[in-house]
Amino acid sequence: MSPADDLPPEQPEPPGPEQPEPPGPEHPTNGLDETVHQRHRLGILTITDEAQRAEFGYLREALGLTPGNLSKHLTVLEQAGMVEVEKGYAGRRPRTWVRITSQGRAALAAELATLTELLRRHTPARDA
Amino acid sequence: MSDDESDPAGREAALLADMKALRRRTRTARHAYWFPLVLFGLLTCASVPFYVLPGPPAGGTGTVPGPPLPILGGFAGVTAQRSLGYYWLAALFGGLLLTLLWYRWNARRVGLATPARGYLVTTAVLTVLALVVPPLSQVRSPGWLSWLRHLDVLWPGDLVLRGTFPFVIIAAGLWVLAWAERSRALTVIAAVYTATALLASLYNIENVLFRLGWNPSGSDLSLTSLPNVLLPALVLLATGAGAFAVQRPHRARP
Repeated sequence: MSPADDLPPEQPEPPGPEQPEPPGPEHPTNGLDETVHQRHRLGILTITDEAQRAEFGYLREALGLTPGNLSKHLTVLEQAGMVEVEKGYAGRRPRTWVRITSQGRAALAAELATLTELLRRHTPARDA
Repeated sequence: MSDDESDPAGREAALLADMKALRRRTRTARHAYWFPLVLFGLLTCASVPFYVLPGPPAGGTGTVPGPPLPILGGFAGVTAQRSLGYYWLAALFGGLLLTLLWYRWNARRVGLATPARGYLVTTAVLTVLALVVPPLSQVRSPGWLSWLRHLDVLWPGDLVLRGTFPFVIIAAGLWVLAWAERSRALTVIAAVYTATALLASLYNIENVLFRLGWNPSGSDLSLTSLPNVLLPALVLLATGAGAFAVQRPHRARP
């Protein structure tokens, strides 16, 4: 007989109010999209959702990003089909405009709904 | 580990609050509706000479010719000058063109574009309908054009009597613009202006002034239509000035 045979069979531990709920198939964290969940990319989608289109310079200043950083985030979102990037000129000055797509709008709505649901789940646990 | 990492609820709450604040800042920076309010207020003021009532026809018994552009110009020669309809046709399209240019310029300056196309299309379509419904509904053809007489249903009834139907067109445009701007303040302005436009179209506001002591006589009688024009103009100019004062500090980039 091994020492393990002396131990009582393991009982599942009832989740207490302090225990964080493990992610399961229905857990809201499964609804988080890594592409959108990143704070700056979420900011880009939020701004472009509010306007018909937003200019590169506005996004850079509003989000406090360097041009290179913003370009990287825009590339990720563009490759995921969430934004469209249009390049043009205003007089002689080159201008880059960013427009959210319907896919990006849906992803943003889903992300905000997930965050709201997570907040709703965590708030009672913290208060208990 | 930062506080945020040890407190997922706090992290999510902070992220949601940040996004809400970002959305609010973006919306505030994008708002630019003071311009169409002031512009159409000024265009309404400029229309005042067309509302000075004409005197009786020379000879006293001449027949009053049929009104040109009756939906835009009212009962020309009776409650307004004959050229009123032409004035409003030019003013509405000119105002729309200037508003389109304004929103384009503002988008380049601020870096955020407002979807104002719906506003422009709504106002333009209503103006074109006001232009074409009267002549087309008069067509009496037994052929395939006979359906045109059903355009009578689009006739806006008593709203055209005082030549103030362009105010109703402007009001309809403001509702669409409030939706595009996502602005509660502009929604309230649109509601107030719509009420004023309907009042000006269906009631002689001069009656109120008469009770307050204005008793026009002689040459003043030709001015009795003016309160119906000046009140909507005042609403547009006052709300436009208020919007300008509020939107001015937010015009700089973040």
